[in-house]
Amino acid sequence: MELTGNHDISAAAQTLWNLLMDPDFLARITPGITRMEKISDDNYLAIADVKIGPVKGSFKGEVQITEKQEPEAFTLMVQQKSSIGNVAASVRIRIQELSPEKSNIQFEGKAQLSGLLARTGQRVLSGVANTLSRQFFESLEAEIKQQV
Amino acid sequence: MSTTIHVTVNGKQHTSEVEPRLLLSHYLRDVLRLTGTHIGCDTSSCGACTIHLDGKAVKSCTLLAVQADGAHITTIEGMAQGGALHPLQVGFQEEHGLQCGFCTPGMIMVAADLLDRNAQPSETEIREALEGNFCRCTGYQNIVKSIQHAADIINKKEVVS
Amino acid sequence: MTKLIGQSVKRVEDKRFITGQGQYTDDIVLPGMTYAYILRSPYAHATIKSIDTAAARAMEGVVAVFTGEDIAKAGINGVPTGWQVNFKSGETMKEPPHPLLVADRVKHVGDSLAVVIAESREIAKDAADLIEIDYDVLEAVWNPADAIAADAPQVHEGAPNNICFDWELGNPKAEVDAALAGAHHVTSLDLVNQRMIPNPIEPRSAIGHFESSHDRYTLYTTSQNPHLTRLLMCAFVLGLPEHKVRVVAPDVGGGFGSKIFHYTEEALVIWASGKLGRPVKWTADRSECFTTDAHGRDHVTKAEMGFDKEGNILGLRVKTYANLGAYLSTFAPCVPTWLHGTLLQGVYTTPKINVDVTGVFTHTNAVDAYRGAGRPEATYLLERLLDTAALEMGMDPAELRLQNMIQPFDGVSQPGYMTQVALQYDSGNYQATLHRGLEMVGYEQFRQEQAEARKAGRYLGIGFSTYIEACGIAPSAVVGALGARAGLYEVGQVRVQPTGKVSVFTGAHSHGQGHETTFAQIVADTLGIGMGDVEIIHGDSESVAFGMGTYGSRSLAVGGSAIMKSLDKILEKGAKIAAHKLEAAVEDLDFAEGKWTVKGTDKSIGFGDVALTAYVPHNYPQGVEPGLDFSSFYDPANFTYPFGTHIAIVEVDPQTGKVDLKRFIAVDDVGNVINPMIVEGQIHGGLAQGIGQAMFEGALYDDGGNLINGSYMDYTMPRADDLPSFEVDRLVTPCPHNPLGVKGAGEAGAIGSTPAVVNAVMDALSPLGIFNPSMPMTPESIWRTING
Repeated sequence: MELTGNHDISAAAQTLWNLLMDPDFLARITPGITRMEKISDDNYLAIADVKIGPVKGSFKGEVQITEKQEPEAFTLMVQQKSSIGNVAASVRIRIQELSPEKSNIQFEGKAQLSGLLARTGQRVLSGVANTLSRQFFESLEAEIKQQV
Repeated sequence: MSTTIHVTVNGKQHTSEVEPRLLLSHYLRDVLRLTGTHIGCDTSSCGACTIHLDGKAVKSCTLLAVQADGAHITTIEGMAQGGALHPLQVGFQEEHGLQCGFCTPGMIMVAADLLDRNAQPSETEIREALEGNFCRCTGYQNIVKSIQHAADIINKKEVVS
Repeated sequence: MTKLIGQSVKRVEDKRFITGQGQYTDDIVLPGMTYAYILRSPYAHATIKSIDTAAARAMEGVVAVFTGEDIAKAGINGVPTGWQVNFKSGETMKEPPHPLLVADRVKHVGDSLAVVIAESREIAKDAADLIEIDYDVLEAVWNPADAIAADAPQVHEGAPNNICFDWELGNPKAEVDAALAGAHHVTSLDLVNQRMIPNPIEPRSAIGHFESSHDRYTLYTTSQNPHLTRLLMCAFVLGLPEHKVRVVAPDVGGGFGSKIFHYTEEALVIWASGKLGRPVKWTADRSECFTTDAHGRDHVTKAEMGFDKEGNILGLRVKTYANLGAYLSTFAPCVPTWLHGTLLQGVYTTPKINVDVTGVFTHTNAVDAYRGAGRPEATYLLERLLDTAALEMGMDPAELRLQNMIQPFDGVSQPGYMTQVALQYDSGNYQATLHRGLEMVGYEQFRQEQAEARKAGRYLGIGFSTYIEACGIAPSAVVGALGARAGLYEVGQVRVQPTGKVSVFTGAHSHGQGHETTFAQIVADTLGIGMGDVEIIHGDSESVAFGMGTYGSRSLAVGGSAIMKSLDKILEKGAKIAAHKLEAAVEDLDFAEGKWTVKGTDKSIGFGDVALTAYVPHNYPQGVEPGLDFSSFYDPANFTYPFGTHIAIVEVDPQTGKVDLKRFIAVDDVGNVINPMIVEGQIHGGLAQGIGQAMFEGALYDDGGNLINGSYMDYTMPRADDLPSFEVDRLVTPCPHNPLGVKGAGEAGAIGSTPAVVNAVMDALSPLGIFNPSMPMTPESIWRTING
């Protein structure tokens, strides 16, 4: 499944970078994520609950941040397991500063699904992914406004 | 951690201790041993588990047993009254509306609900009413005829009485 | 007495089904029952680095957890294949093992890894969630054309390039090449006969029950084929003594081929029950059915047919890549070869035919027989070629068919028709069904309507399919020579009870076909007794001597004939007893209306009195054994060859690509008919599945080898409002070689209908060009066909 999109956020690139590198912050704004724990530098344990139609599951697995180019780009490697199937995703995230108050976040990547998750409703999942990413950016924007 | 429910099934009262996650379909089959209600899928798509809950056709896999607390339920086992088959049961046999029989209870329960609402449905109305139920054997044609047959029986009876 | 044969007698089995009293496998609960949940691979291809079952084992209510290592340690073989196909070189096909639980490398999504057995289904499932498996995910391949590429991921060691076998049949390829090279016109089609998921509404289920008191096992299973399951499981998988194993297939909620085969879960519950000393039940959820019930079809084909200037067929060349999945299911190798290649003569006089099939392993679920099995694939390519050729050559598709059809023959005074592809057709009048179909559709009038509709910018189309199939499998010696590892006869036992009531034991298995009615009609008519005096017993290896099960439209032609053989023996012995009682010679007796009468007198004795005499033989003929109970094995002399004409009328909206199936006409000739109502029901059901393939159904995979429409929400099967009412009629050309003259009706609808619908869409769109629509013809797919 392809994952692409971009969104303008009212913050400077470095501000965004700092927030996105903070696991507690990420756990708070990412839909479905209930907990994120640091295992080592750039390596986190994430626990999420996701429900898509009749498919519902608790996911657990690692999130890794690689290929870091502060404050412009990084790659998220996600390995999540659940009883309804596993997710392996690799997403490249680019932050382009448009002005000191505004940056564009662009993401591009692929997710490989397996199990029940893959065979039930996979064709509607890209729609779900779009909704989830929109929610993520809305929460991000809201958090930034609050912090400012 | 179980909950007590009281339900009336085919006119008989039952009080059961059930786990909160138990589906009504499993309650009917496993606890009450009414195995005429069949389970054909896990996405509420096939309709084989259709029953009547307080007079309306519902897929019993979409409800938890605890949600049926206090309800009146009819299953396929409760359709024949006093030894006489329900007109739909007659219709299905007369018009060869079943082959393997697995979807049949659900089909009959849905059709009974339809005929309650619409005593003389057209072929199109019948086909639309069956839209939530799969049959893989009959190609549906004889199911449609079976329901028309039952409608005729019911309507004739009403004329007589 | 009214004859029952030929009457639409209402089904006797219906009573239990319409009142909710059917007993399907999952309805059975035994004392002390445990419940199995099978943990399956979420990946199409991965090595297993480790499996940790400790947490699952520790869970309260868990009775046992077994993994592939346990199975390997116990020395249990995998499930076998019942048919051997050889390479063209003569080398045996590749036959990799199919273990009950996999220990090292999974080969398709749904491959079994571990079984958890617990006090309840819910506990078993919860415990399975606690099993930790560390996978190394590998590249997978799902498309047969991709799988043979040099750099494709390999499914099995020892099957290079994922090839299981290559195979050919018919005339030498050089002769066919020459015929096509010299042709005035060659029609060439690239076709995908997409993978179908059988989807009987009852999920598969199996209960293993070991009783230590008798060292005896009972398997209750959702099977079309209980005796063969017992044989394969005992002799090849578990090494159990067959006489200590009983297999029961109770009421079975549809099969369509997918319940013919011996599945790993059956052996697993029997083995586990033996280990634990308690009954073990496993029932698939629908998602499991999607990834573990054997699928059907899945051919990638290039088909070319050459014609002379007048439209006479000169030759046919077919190259097919058949997807077999990751493991060989029970009859998998036979379906794309002997059940497909042999049908490529169709109903035409094609003088040169060559078919070449490569069987390919992929990282997908096994593919095996699905309603029609090989014959729909053959019919699809032939009938698509005919209508396409007619359009390309500017000929009428019905005329082109009539011109090339085999002339009528009855198989009695005229010999059977020898094909170029190893079969001898029994009897046929192919023209008659086409003429009747044209009459029913109002062909000339339709063409006028079509012309007017086109002027008005509407796209109406008509499509034909004049199919033939081979049923009633099979003469054992013939199929043995072709690679079958079993005989394909049938067993029928008729036990007349002392009071003249009759119990009939058949090796055929009814899972919707209505044997309890049809077979009883035959028995009651032949013995001159009432339907109510006959009971048909099937599906239990303890009561039925043996059997080969129900598939390939064989039950009546083979199983019914076996019963007829036993009835002959009953009447022959009964006549001896009657003659003794009547003090007459056997030759002087007539049997009619249930009694023997001395010719020209009113002296007679009823069937019931003869039965009683046989069991109370006080006044009894010398040298005749007491009792009236005969068993027969019937091995048919040939296959049977039902045929017919299917015609579809559609309207297509080129703006949206939506296909509206307006009419469907089916004229089938399935030989003699015992119960027209049941035959018509079989035709209807087959049509729905064949039309389902044309318009709605088909498995879809992603690059990881995941089935992405593996649920009833995602896989589109026809619902009641997707189909029109079918217009069906029948003609009768009796089968010349079985006592009932019947040919079989179970698969005809699914075999004939698919190409008719696709041809109709092609015809509808012909003002825009000659298209080759791909199945399923969803609006999107048709829109893409038109818009490139």
